[in-house]
Amino acid sequence: MIRIACPFCGLRDETEFAYRGDATVSRPPADAPIEDFHDYVYRRANPRGWHVEWWHHAGGCRQFLKVVRHTMTHAVHSVGLASSTQVVPPE
Amino acid sequence: MTQGFRTQTGGRIDRSQTLAFRFDGRSYAGHPGDTLASALLANGVRLVGRSFKLHRPRGIFSAGAEEPNALAELRGGARREPNTRMTTAELYDGLEAASQNRWPSLRWDLLSLNGLIAPLLSAGFYYKTFMWPAAFWEKVYEPLIRRSAGLGRAAREPDPDRYDAVQAHCDVLVVGSGAAGLAAARVAGAAGARVTLCEQDFALGGGLLSAPAHGAWREATLAALAAMPDVTILPRTTVFGYYDHNVVGAVERVADHLAQPPPHTPRQRYWTIRARSIVLATGAHERLIAFPDNDRPGIMLAGAAETYASRFGVRAGSRALLFANNDAAYASLFALQDAGIAVAGVVDPRTESAGAEAARARGITVWADSQVTGASGGTALVGARVARRGAGGGDTLVVADLLCVSGGHSPAVQLASQGRTPLEWSEALAAHVPGPATLDQHSAGAANGVLGFAEAAADGARAGAAAARAAAADIPLPGAGDAAYGLLPFWEADVPGKAFVDLQDDVTANDIRLAHREGYKHIEHAKRYTTHTMGTDQGKSGGLVGAAVLAAARGERVQDVGLPTFRPFTSPVTWGAIAGPHIGQQFAPTRLTALYDWHVRRGAEFMDAGQWLRPAFYPIPADADAWASVLREARAVRKTVGICDVSTLGKIDVQGADSAAFLDRLYTNTFSTLPVGRARYGLMLREDGIVFDDGTTSRLATDHFFVTTTTANAGPVMAHMEFHLQTCWPELDVQLASVSDQWAGMSIAGPKARATIGKIVQDLDLSDAAFPFMAVGDGSVRGCPVRVLRISFSGEQAYEIMTPAGYAETVWTAVLEAGEEYAITPYGLEALGLLRIEKGHVAGSELNGQTTAADLGLGRMVKKRGDFVGRALSQRPGLTDPDRPVLVGIRPATRHDRLRAGAHLVTPGSTESLGWITSVTRAVELEGWIGLAMLRGGAARQGSRMQAAFPMLDETVEVEITSPHFVDAENLRVRG
Amino acid sequence: MSVVDPVSPLGNTLVPGRHGAAGDGAVRIAERRCDLVQVFARKGRAGDVAAAMLARFGSDLPGPGHTFDAPAFSALWVQPDGWLLVAPRSPEGALAKSIKAACGDTASVVEQTHGRSVIALSGGRAAWVLGKLSSLDLHGREFGPGRAAVSPVAGLSCVVHHRDAAPSYDLIVFATFARWFVTSLTHAAEETGYIVE
Repeated sequence: MIRIACPFCGLRDETEFAYRGDATVSRPPADAPIEDFHDYVYRRANPRGWHVEWWHHAGGCRQFLKVVRHTMTHAVHSVGLASSTQVVPPE
Repeated sequence: MTQGFRTQTGGRIDRSQTLAFRFDGRSYAGHPGDTLASALLANGVRLVGRSFKLHRPRGIFSAGAEEPNALAELRGGARREPNTRMTTAELYDGLEAASQNRWPSLRWDLLSLNGLIAPLLSAGFYYKTFMWPAAFWEKVYEPLIRRSAGLGRAAREPDPDRYDAVQAHCDVLVVGSGAAGLAAARVAGAAGARVTLCEQDFALGGGLLSAPAHGAWREATLAALAAMPDVTILPRTTVFGYYDHNVVGAVERVADHLAQPPPHTPRQRYWTIRARSIVLATGAHERLIAFPDNDRPGIMLAGAAETYASRFGVRAGSRALLFANNDAAYASLFALQDAGIAVAGVVDPRTESAGAEAARARGITVWADSQVTGASGGTALVGARVARRGAGGGDTLVVADLLCVSGGHSPAVQLASQGRTPLEWSEALAAHVPGPATLDQHSAGAANGVLGFAEAAADGARAGAAAARAAAADIPLPGAGDAAYGLLPFWEADVPGKAFVDLQDDVTANDIRLAHREGYKHIEHAKRYTTHTMGTDQGKSGGLVGAAVLAAARGERVQDVGLPTFRPFTSPVTWGAIAGPHIGQQFAPTRLTALYDWHVRRGAEFMDAGQWLRPAFYPIPADADAWASVLREARAVRKTVGICDVSTLGKIDVQGADSAAFLDRLYTNTFSTLPVGRARYGLMLREDGIVFDDGTTSRLATDHFFVTTTTANAGPVMAHMEFHLQTCWPELDVQLASVSDQWAGMSIAGPKARATIGKIVQDLDLSDAAFPFMAVGDGSVRGCPVRVLRISFSGEQAYEIMTPAGYAETVWTAVLEAGEEYAITPYGLEALGLLRIEKGHVAGSELNGQTTAADLGLGRMVKKRGDFVGRALSQRPGLTDPDRPVLVGIRPATRHDRLRAGAHLVTPGSTESLGWITSVTRAVELEGWIGLAMLRGGAARQGSRMQAAFPMLDETVEVEITSPHFVDAENLRVRG
Repeated sequence: MSVVDPVSPLGNTLVPGRHGAAGDGAVRIAERRCDLVQVFARKGRAGDVAAAMLARFGSDLPGPGHTFDAPAFSALWVQPDGWLLVAPRSPEGALAKSIKAACGDTASVVEQTHGRSVIALSGGRAAWVLGKLSSLDLHGREFGPGRAAVSPVAGLSCVVHHRDAAPSYDLIVFATFARWFVTSLTHAAEETGYIVE
């Protein structure tokens, strides 16, 4: 079981969170071409290694957190706020 | 029966008390401190089971969790528990046990003829033997296999006992209470760490329990631990799995050592332990050696025989022969000799050793550079054949009823490996040892490849300090002993015969070689092809031996072949423990509206709607069947007035200066233009352009909205809002709160709806002019605050009354009394569904994650200006294709024909599906069945006829394609 | 308004008396009828809300994981810029109205008195019982009086408020789940025994 250190609530079980996918993509501006929306919804790097992703602390403070997680080992490198820029460590 | 094999003194059993127990119907006696296995051995019972596949007679092989043979059905009736290891089952007075896998009796097992057809049951046998014809599988092969192979029988009745689950945390978790574990716990505890110590045995001490010389150290260390308030010691607790981030699973057998648990006490407790650091002091498993007939009752691991003698005061035989490749096993033999067991000698594949020297000094014969080439005896060992290695011929038959085997010791690295620690090869042990850990994890003692009590304790102290992030505390350590080991890797006697590498699964060395010849050369493939290490013992004593046989076949080193991946569970865990308290009504949460008790009193039939328990309908004696109730309730709504509990709708309170702008971005329609005191039906898309949810949103103030969602999507819509607010538009001033539980809701619908509630709603003008369709306002009913919304799901004149949940029944009852003169009728979920289908309102079956707004006839609700979630991708060609299936209504051409949801719509003579029926009901406004469907070219097909095919029932019904609005298509009634 | 007493969502789920195992380890379980109000600071107005709450109610608005006991209510942090106020019952809606009056448009105020249930669990073995249902670390080094956490209990969204050293916990759950929650809690407490007053 993954344990995630919520910046507000402290270290909590994975079961308190809901995974919400890739946090490296962001919603295009309203006037962006449809292709940008396509990429936002569908295109993913699917890395083997460190990945920045959204985890919703649905069972706690209801915040969407940016978690840097290793997709092979489930190691969590860092957890930040939605507004943060998370540094991805070298492999 | 007397305990003829019990020693007069010694051991950790209480000879002053006698426990009576039964095995296969016969009565025996043992003592507190015994396991079922030790008590059976004390009573001279050697044959305890038949093997899984070949029904070969088997005896007790080990003294612990690694036991492959001695599996019993424990207890009876609803508490019958199959496949219990006799070696770990704690003896209690009145224990009932039965052997498994024998028919009609253990001694005369007719199915041991399986041994004669053994060639048919070789590796991969069921892939080869039972392939054809297919019909034979069910009728012949499966019953045969079920009778002849398999383990014990599970109880047929529900388990009467309770099982608990506990969540736990600690700084340092120590697994295993041998010398290393005790030292680690003491050092970590002394450093101030919160320590949990798990021991699978009912007694603490691991190997120390068989080492009387270290008894004082054990006692002193346990006393020191008991004095530490932040040290928790859990005996009878098996750590079975090591999961990510240092979370482990363990099962505590709280009451397995009692005939039945005391009242309110769980039988077992499932622990989920989160540890900052973990010390694995899990010891080592002694290995078997493969030689012909190495599975005979009387053949036992050397360390196990020592444990029976030293810990339990039991002689596992009268005359012992040792077959070992290491010096540690000699110490075991000497303990047997000291316990009064005659010694027949030692067979050692090594040419010379310290052990052999010591044995000869005790007057013991040692056959050096030799091997055991076979075992004699059927249900009991009578002797073993011994020969020089490499020299042809010349067997000696050595008479012995106990053959102690030791092929070396494999550190118990299962948990370390699950915990992502790579394994390394130790030449000294010819076994895998843990490499550098990646998690905060420290192996110690025999589990770390460190042998000897003093050495293991020192290693444990080191690990305990590292785990506690403290300097090593100065704790007393046990005195040093003789640490000579001198192992010569030796896996298999090089003579033909049935030499087992996995006793429980009846896998022989030849089976491994056969798998290799047939191409299953990878260790993982060989494992699955032969079932090697797939039993309840997970190959603890023979796993590496099988790998060595495979390595030899591949011409490689054992360490290069490796081991199959270790996975949970390292030991069997009962389903009861896994299910824990989540059984029956407690399986999953149930959600009840504030009106639940009223529904119960009214005799409602309930149905599950997600987590909710909702009234389906309210039968009355006059109703012939369920449909009669549903149709009666729906008719009341169409003719006079009905009332329905709609408290389950999701409700979200949206406040903040930017609330309107926020909702504009989430919904396809515009809320910034909605006046205060009005509601609007809203449609929400996913970002991919597909419809997500719908509901009404009311504006309570310029900066305050009250949003409703469908029952099913209450949670997902809230998360969807939070996601966009926090990650896409964090600049917006919006605050969200779920108020689904704060407000109970009831829908009052029908031509007499206003007449009914007009009598009781105060402080609010309900006249059509003041309170038109889609108006919202606050008032009161009998002193209870209410919020009234004039909205309709049924198509009739209708109002929803929301009230704080604690007043729900007061308001509901007031409405019922007010509606009495119109025979107001409570209606359930079934009638609600009927009414919405008649009206052509979409619900879950149409909002199925594949439909667009246009598909559902809701295209006009999609605004043309401004961005919103799903706008861009809803304009994709695939989603705007005019040939997409769209919502239509369906009626059977012959009115009494039945419609079925899921039926496909085809044109006569064609098998091409042009659409499907999503929802059906019997109607009250029209005659017979009606339905909604998604149909290609649906608009153009209205008025035409098609066929609704339901192949599962071989049914085809001719249907008429209609408008989806069967009732009041002009929408006049809701405004009436 | 409110001539009628609101009905508890628990119905008869909690049966007064002593239940479960005998012995002196029994915990106490009770429903506490409370007023519950959620307060959220509007965007960038957290300072104004804090000032208003201090001036009007003498209440600090605590930071993550903490609570503050003001004369009229306890304030529990539940999310960034969001608090749950727990107070003794008063006339329907009065607390929310007074908070809104004090904070004006610096705060969003949401009435939750009927939306949540407060279940009190106390006694020497309360942490053991709670530990069967919650994965919070309840050890004294990590949690204690004056602390609160939002975390699932019995699989349900819950605010756990450690009120005093008895220890006493308030378990604040969604009202429509309250019966199932209490059934889970009493089930977990059978081992120690429990008393309902």
